[in-house]
Amino acid sequence: MADSAARPITGAQVTIEADMSHAGMSPRFAEAKEMDLGRYEAHVEFQMAGDWVILLHVTLPDGKKLERQFDVRGVRPN
Amino acid sequence: MRVPGLGHLFRWRYARPVLQAPLLVLSLVMILHGLFGPSLAPKNLATTLSWLHFRGLLVLVLLCAGNFFCLACPFMLVRQWARRIFQPRFNWPRALRNKWLSVGLFVLILFTYELFDLWSSPWWTAWLIVGYFLSVLVVDGFFKHASFCKFVCPIGQFNFVASTLSPFEVKVREQDVCTRCHTKDCIRGRREPVSDLVTIRGCELALFQPSKVGNMDCTFCLDCVHACPHDNIGILSRLPASELMVDPLRSGVGYFSRRKDIAALAIVFTLGALLNAFGMVSPVYAVERWLGQMLHVSHEAPVLGVIFAFFLIVEPVLLLGVAAYLTRAWVGDANAGTRALLPLAVRYAYGLVPLGFGMWLAHYCFHFLTGLYTLIPVTQNAIASLGRPLLGEPRWTLTGLPANVVQVIEIGFLLLGFAGSLVVTYGLAENDSPDRPLRAFLPWAAVCLVLWCASMWLMFQPMEMRATLMSG
Repeated sequence: MADSAARPITGAQVTIEADMSHAGMSPRFAEAKEMDLGRYEAHVEFQMAGDWVILLHVTLPDGKKLERQFDVRGVRPN
Repeated sequence: MRVPGLGHLFRWRYARPVLQAPLLVLSLVMILHGLFGPSLAPKNLATTLSWLHFRGLLVLVLLCAGNFFCLACPFMLVRQWARRIFQPRFNWPRALRNKWLSVGLFVLILFTYELFDLWSSPWWTAWLIVGYFLSVLVVDGFFKHASFCKFVCPIGQFNFVASTLSPFEVKVREQDVCTRCHTKDCIRGRREPVSDLVTIRGCELALFQPSKVGNMDCTFCLDCVHACPHDNIGILSRLPASELMVDPLRSGVGYFSRRKDIAALAIVFTLGALLNAFGMVSPVYAVERWLGQMLHVSHEAPVLGVIFAFFLIVEPVLLLGVAAYLTRAWVGDANAGTRALLPLAVRYAYGLVPLGFGMWLAHYCFHFLTGLYTLIPVTQNAIASLGRPLLGEPRWTLTGLPANVVQVIEIGFLLLGFAGSLVVTYGLAENDSPDRPLRAFLPWAAVCLVLWCASMWLMFQPMEMRATLMSG
């Protein structure tokens, strides 16, 4: 994560939520760990094949909250 | 009707609006949340309530009781209000007094469900509900009686077919009382003695109670119950599916064996159940990619069209055609032996209904039970989004029953449907070919077995839900 001046954001709390596109499917949650300056990693298990939507719930060090969403399409079964 | 509490409620003239009002409020909430709430389906009340809870509860109530959803239908409440202002003037066109239009709309709903991924779109789901309200107002605004329910409504047709397997039916208690009755209020409506104005409506779906058989076309509206001056109509228990095994003249319906349109509805109901489930398992994507390459198209609509044509035209023509041919060849008697193939297929098509209902139950109850508690966090979230988390923060970890438990229930429904279809087809074979019922039964038992195996195969396929079928 970086701010508008491309400076890495450290000390943020990042929760990852993975949802399927169908109602009734349980979302998967994971807390991301800061592995390097501004670099966060988390492990999320997709329990079903198909299209997933990832929601990032971010709390910045100053308490400000952010949400970002992106798609992970076409997850295939193992 | 003799159950304390419930009986009083159903006898009460305003029972229907009282049951409809909460569903109307719920519909409005779903529309608003669908249009203005979260765009993610698992977080929206429109998609959660429509595609999980409504469908699941609908099939369970049909299985355990009867067509009580039509009784509490919110669309009809709005229609009633509209009719106070705008009285319809026309009769429904004679050429459309059958199920062909509603069969087409039923297929169209299944098609759009797949094409536009309605299950993943709160916005489209909300517009579907709005569209339903508008359709009711337009159709019943122009045409008299319950034209929308009887000839148009796809949900209603689903309920009519499924309720042939329900354990309860609206019917007369004692035929003798009807024989002595001269006013026939159950169909004509109860009237003021002097002005002859109708004060309590009779059946709007043209079902004359003394000769009504089964649940086909009955919305459980209870108009006949309230209109009968002899308190001779009730919601009575009966043997589920028994009405599929007999072929009497049914009031407002005619003979099942002569109604190709209702037989087509039964076939679409049954094979549509398999098709709807097929759209959510992994193999469908391989089939779509293969078809896309074969047809040199990249758009989903033509590929879906081919799949629908196969499931709803080619498959029934082949299966029912071969079964009818074998029945005719093996029985060889004066009844079935000399009959053309189409009437035979029409006659036995009703035997497939339990199988279809078993598949709808398995499919809808899977989503309903595995996502049973998701309504709680979705509601919490909806209320919290208004600025005040009155129900607390959303508990997204609440989901439902484990999938392995639900799978056992699914197998139970499929077995129940299979057994039901075997019983009904044997009953039809006994009535049709009393000398050689087994020979008449075997081809249809084979059809039931093929469809049951297909259902079981589908159920054990890994689920895969995508909004873009053709990609990847």
